Amino acid sequence: MLKCQHLVEKADALVDGTPISRRERFALRLHLIMCRHCRRYVRQLRALLGFLPREETPLDDARTEAILKKLDASRDH
Amino acid sequence: MADTQLEDPRFIEKLRQGDPVAFGQLVKGHHNMLLATARTLLSPADAEEAVQDAWIAAHRAIAKFEGRSLLRTWLTRIVINQAKMMLRKRGREIQFDPTNDPDALAHRFHGDGHWQHPPQHWELSSPENLLTREELRRCMEKHLHFMPDSQRLVLELRDLQGLPADDVCNMLEISASNVRVLLHRARARLFEMVDHFQETGEC
Repeated sequence: MLKCQHLVEKADALVDGTPISRRERFALRLHLIMCRHCRRYVRQLRALLGFLPREETPLDDARTEAILKKLDASRDH
Repeated sequence: MADTQLEDPRFIEKLRQGDPVAFGQLVKGHHNMLLATARTLLSPADAEEAVQDAWIAAHRAIAKFEGRSLLRTWLTRIVINQAKMMLRKRGREIQFDPTNDPDALAHRFHGDGHWQHPPQHWELSSPENLLTREELRRCMEKHLHFMPDSQRLVLELRDLQGLPADDVCNMLEISASNVRVLLHRARARLFEMVDHFQETGEC
């Protein structure tokens, strides 16, 4: 059977959707059914990644203007 | 504008035609994200300068953008190239060899590969949700700061910007397996940190 350490190394693909072979996915799933520590690891890793501080706010108008102005200035050179 | 609109072919065509309003929308929508990427490698002041230079480069080259990647990927690649130039000026470079940093979780396993120190149960569903605690957020920022540049950058591109793994390999010119290892090391460090915080209440 798959070792826990091996699962932890491979779990990234389960969490971020990286394609892995069906055989590999099956082995990971099977391990997770039987191992609560690894289930906890995967669940908490997902929660952690969902919590990372993402930068999604649009730039405010004044700073957008400032950047566009510098573009114009660079074109004149 | 939402991210999907910024990738819309009609919007991209306007950019290619040199529409200044469209370019303004592009800057507005993506600047902060690009700045966050640059900051994984540079000081805040250098990051601002690198992204400003990247906008100038993007503005010059946008007519030649052929849509073979996401526009977001194309812009990020320009920012990373600007950041690398800035690093060279400062006599630094990014070290992409993942082997020189150990796996933060490796010590939790017995020699036979089973858990010796399994993860703690994290309080995630209560109002006192562990992950929303202010001290933990500060602790995470500190750990992100001390993480190797290459790990922080790959974490940013994959887990925060959500860029496809292939795009990240191409823009960093490293192998898929190196991207995987760097991402795993970065996640392992953060997991270890949160678990330690859950156990001890300390950073």
